[in-house]
Amino acid sequence: MFLTNAVLRFLAPRVTVRAHCDLPCGIYDPEQARIEAESCYKIIEKYAANNDPAYRTRALAIKEERAELTKHHLDVLWHDYFKPEHLEKVPNLHDLFWQANKQVSKVKASTDIADAKRLLELIDEVDAAWKATGGLEKTRVAGRPS
Amino acid sequence: MATLRERLRGPWRVAVIEGSMAPAILPGDWLVVNPLVARWPRPGAVVVFREPLGETLAIKRVAARAGDQIPFAGGYLTLAPDEAWLAADADEKAAAAAGSGPPIDSQRFGPVAAAELVGRVLFRYWPPRRIGRIPGRAAR
Repeated sequence: MFLTNAVLRFLAPRVTVRAHCDLPCGIYDPEQARIEAESCYKIIEKYAANNDPAYRTRALAIKEERAELTKHHLDVLWHDYFKPEHLEKVPNLHDLFWQANKQVSKVKASTDIADAKRLLELIDEVDAAWKATGGLEKTRVAGRPS
Repeated sequence: MATLRERLRGPWRVAVIEGSMAPAILPGDWLVVNPLVARWPRPGAVVVFREPLGETLAIKRVAARAGDQIPFAGGYLTLAPDEAWLAADADEKAAAAAGSGPPIDSQRFGPVAAAELVGRVLFRYWPPRRIGRIPGRAAR
């Protein structure tokens, strides 16, 4: 027994390699993207109402950050939540995400409230696609107060 | 690109964890690796490499090499002279059945440059009842 163990220890590799897969938590909701996009919307409003250059600079910096988060949350939905079989229910899915992500880039660079409004509309379309594919029932933990 | 001296240091043997290469390679398998290779081996060969996202040492199968075209995102992507397309054996369904998400391979991190190649898997030396060559990828 002692000898077998010693031989095994001698044979055992010291390096581990991973044949890995994702471990998804399975929680998705377009609301996450919408909240960041709403921040962009509000920041543009506040930017327009204030003339202090320091305030305006900060507003732009924070808007860039929020826009980046919007993009991230949209990407997670696109790559991880939506599956090829969802294309039957939402045939324009790829185009929708492409447009939404492009609109985020626009909002990043823009101080026009119309751009932020358009982004919210596109995220609402993503939300409709998420609901149409059963996301609301499948990808949130039940029992949240409404 | 690693020098010959660096490559001689290995690893010459690796232990596998996680199941995206099932059924050809299972978690817990011990493999002998040739770390002296500097170029991507032929498609079908199993390789150890550093993952482009985050330096993890990973194991996957070469699916395509330089000049090959890969169907990707509705179009095609042509591999550069030093690039390979690496794929897991287990598909998304098999991984889901085992309780994991999609395998992490070139579909996720894109083509991999030869500089990230660590070695080519030669054979399995543990467990005793499965010693030998690594089988080819099972048909899906």
